Amino acid sequence: MSNKVNRRDFLKIMGWSGVGATLAGCDLPTTVTLEEGKEEVVSYLMPEEFVIPGIGVWYASTCLQCPAGCGVHGRVREGRVLKLEGNPESPINRGRLCQMGQSGVQAHYNPDRITQPMLRKNGGLTPVSWHDALEVLAQRTGPGSGLTGERFAWFTDTISGHQAVLLDAHLKAMGSDNHYVHEVINNSVTRAVNRDMLGEEQPRLRFDKARVVLSFGADFLGTWQSPVHNATEYAKFRSPPRGVLVQVEPNMSLTGANADLWVPVRPGTEGLLALAIAKVLATKHRKPLDKLPAAVQELILGYDVNEVARITGASGDHIIKIAGWLSERSPSLVIAGATAEGHEQGYQIVAAIMLLNIILGNVGETIEPAGEFPFPQLTARTGGTRSLVDFAKALEEKRYDVVFFRGANPVYTAPKALGLAQKLEGVGFKVAFSMFQDETTALADLVLPMRSPAEDWGTHVPAYQGEDRVISVQQPLMEPLYTETRGFGDVMLSLLKMHKVAGYSDYEDYYAYLRDAFAAMPAVLKENHSDDSFWARALQKGVIPVPTTQGSLTVKTAAVEVPGDSGRGEYPYFLVPAARLGMWDGRHANIPWLQEAPDQITKVVWNSWAEMHPSTARKLGVKTGDAVRIASSQGTIEANVYVYKGIHPDVIAVPMGRGHEAYGRYAQGRGVNPLKILDPVTERKTGELALMATRVQVSRASNEKVMVKLGGSESQLGRKIVATVTADVFERTEGGA
Amino acid sequence: MSLKNVFTDWSRYRKGIEEGGFHDYEHMWGMAVDLNKCIGCNACAVACYAENNLAVVGEEKFYKGQAMHWMRIERYWDEPDLGEDRVKEFNHHGANFIPMMCQNCNAATCEPVCPVAATYHTPDGLNAQVYNRCIGSRYCSNNCPYRLRFFNFYSYYESSWPEPLHMQLNPDLTVRDKGVMEKCTFCVQRIRAAKDKARREDRKVRDGEFLPACAQTCPTGAITFGDLLTLHTPGGGVGETKVAQMWRDHQVELGKTRQTKQNPELRGYRVFEGLNTDPCVMYLERVREV
Repeated sequence: MSNKVNRRDFLKIMGWSGVGATLAGCDLPTTVTLEEGKEEVVSYLMPEEFVIPGIGVWYASTCLQCPAGCGVHGRVREGRVLKLEGNPESPINRGRLCQMGQSGVQAHYNPDRITQPMLRKNGGLTPVSWHDALEVLAQRTGPGSGLTGERFAWFTDTISGHQAVLLDAHLKAMGSDNHYVHEVINNSVTRAVNRDMLGEEQPRLRFDKARVVLSFGADFLGTWQSPVHNATEYAKFRSPPRGVLVQVEPNMSLTGANADLWVPVRPGTEGLLALAIAKVLATKHRKPLDKLPAAVQELILGYDVNEVARITGASGDHIIKIAGWLSERSPSLVIAGATAEGHEQGYQIVAAIMLLNIILGNVGETIEPAGEFPFPQLTARTGGTRSLVDFAKALEEKRYDVVFFRGANPVYTAPKALGLAQKLEGVGFKVAFSMFQDETTALADLVLPMRSPAEDWGTHVPAYQGEDRVISVQQPLMEPLYTETRGFGDVMLSLLKMHKVAGYSDYEDYYAYLRDAFAAMPAVLKENHSDDSFWARALQKGVIPVPTTQGSLTVKTAAVEVPGDSGRGEYPYFLVPAARLGMWDGRHANIPWLQEAPDQITKVVWNSWAEMHPSTARKLGVKTGDAVRIASSQGTIEANVYVYKGIHPDVIAVPMGRGHEAYGRYAQGRGVNPLKILDPVTERKTGELALMATRVQVSRASNEKVMVKLGGSESQLGRKIVATVTADVFERTEGGA
Repeated sequence: MSLKNVFTDWSRYRKGIEEGGFHDYEHMWGMAVDLNKCIGCNACAVACYAENNLAVVGEEKFYKGQAMHWMRIERYWDEPDLGEDRVKEFNHHGANFIPMMCQNCNAATCEPVCPVAATYHTPDGLNAQVYNRCIGSRYCSNNCPYRLRFFNFYSYYESSWPEPLHMQLNPDLTVRDKGVMEKCTFCVQRIRAAKDKARREDRKVRDGEFLPACAQTCPTGAITFGDLLTLHTPGGGVGETKVAQMWRDHQVELGKTRQTKQNPELRGYRVFEGLNTDPCVMYLERVREV
């Protein structure tokens, strides 16, 4: 197959040819553009056979709103993508989508997109042509620029599939191995623990099989690993026989809001609580501890439940109740998330929590080996906040002359203490591959406008796949809105051409490259299809199933050392920067639907808030809607208070995601960014930022803004709106154990 | 509209209330929402914005109660059924979420008060809103006990969809202008598309052939949508839909202000059914291990 495919043939291949498609092709205006002038414009008077004006057709693609990589179907009508739905073929989300996925179209049609390349001249960013932009790139980074590999770095969000292959090829061409991958919402610490303890970073978790799920701050329904997949599994978990969910965390997450038992704890004491539960399991329920090293056994048996209850803030009754459930109902699943990880001793805390899985024999039952993905070059390069710390350190040492940014927005997410914005001034040439003028892009010297995910090609292999493994295919759902934007893959190929890298220079564009890459895929994926038919099938289904090798988990435990109460001092409260399904790490603050979507817990819209327990609020003399000043040793933020009983009295929680200084009309100047005032404490073993380790003072501030939220009443006032039955009743009527 | 027609329609309407909807309906669209599965994630509400061209009004107008969310997740902290004393210091059972959308009541309180009959009941069992007949008296929203009718106090076209956001607008339905009342339609555009398709293929609409945007996106599958018409047939007969089966399983009947269940422990209930609104949305009670 030649690389030169005219656009109309190409669209036919996309949807029409091959395996019994019922839907095909965009409407005609998308197949040709006046600007390109490559083909004549065909009016609706002479439509192609499959085009029916007014009838929407659906194309499979991949959602890029978070790293979970859900499959989507985009509805295309009259050349525009109108609506996204989940792709039922994708084992990740099985036809479902979350609110962030639904609003993918608002990222695509966002009025604040960057529409042309920009170059910094005399201090300001001025529009330039792509030709000039690439010329500048060649001068500054190309062969002959004198730039050496160690003076160059990439800073990206999670990247996988063929985009990662091209990025690796570019790094190789530059002679560099400096690739920083940054995600604020991550599970790096747990991955490290899993690797050391089970031999696999991301084992497959079987919520559907579990009868009890005990989660230490893992908001698996909202922000953890693969939220939509977890939610589909949660539905199975809650079907008869209905499983019990226990959530232990400092402030209520979406998962906590759905727990049968929600237990508030003082941040950083989760490990202690886990060991106390282990003690009850061993002493009261006679669970053998023999799989654990002697030192750990001794440690566990040494705890006094009442003492632990005092330190953690959880009640002794709850500890005993949790142990009872875990012992009576098997199998169970114990997981740890952000609020357990984000401490100086985060690794130890998570390791202590994971011991419960070993004591309860969950490894191999509800924690299964995910197996080896056969194409390591396509797997997700994922990361956490260590990259931020390392990057800041490298900038401090003035190690880089040129940095390329893609996806991540470190200038927004980095705590003020890291001084990233100032340190970036020391980098001579910063290039942002970006769709929006976010905080990082605003500091760039060269801005390359990217196509939206709905306009671009790609392949994606998410880091966590809870079921059958797939390569998820991303295809354009419509013509680019702006002619001066380019696909990431296309630009990467231009860069590789600039370096005359053998093998990549022959491709006209990323599409041609992907066609060849698909043709080169091994027979096991192609299942006897011809190249063309395999390609068409991949686009129609949106996913390519990938057989994985059978893996195994080997349990290895080491000594754990969990921190206890860390004292109060000058800053009496813990600050929890809360992650939420919606704003996420701040990347969705420019989406009006999500700004207007009430927060699941507090129901606040368009602004930040500070969560507080009634007893704390009484102490400070504030009520819901009043403003408070929250001061850490690193800075101060102000927000209106939301008072409720879903938070530990020693904790103040402020959601992440708002408080942008740039990022367009919907994001800029709304709310506050709690990440800014974090202490730059790092987790000892992994080097991740300890996001939950910051202490703050809280005082009343003058009320300048009203807090806007959905709903006037927090109570049902005796009306039967949400009725509740006990699990016993459910078991009697709808079946149970 | 002759006087005779008015009387005929009125008596048909009264009869419909007593018997739980018109028996000569073509369809009777209804829902079952399982609060044991609903996680309150808000995906349904945003899917509704995307499907139904709902305006984003901004913080100030939201504060004035002018938000246009046809579907919203209400969240309560108290749990009267588990005993108030349980919520002392902490909400140990999490939150109480409930997705609320127009309940498409068979005896809709919004309908009889409309001075221009802009809101009426369709032979599909839908509580419909005729936008170009609406004069904006707002009597209907005043009369809705669920507060699920939304009034366009402003024209939002410019402010809500600055270019090129307007390109996302669903061409299958209008963008409502200032002075018009709007509400959840059970995605009537999808219903009509499915009915048209079935008619062209000379068959009946199949159960699950299409879903409203909220039910389609719901990550836990908490929302079941379909035809409730077979509820009028004892035993359901052939072609009972999944949603009708759920109503039957939970012994929730139409046309009642209070359910007389053989097994009172079954979870099905309708919100505010004592008001004789006869809603077409059944909720299944939330479940908690205590």
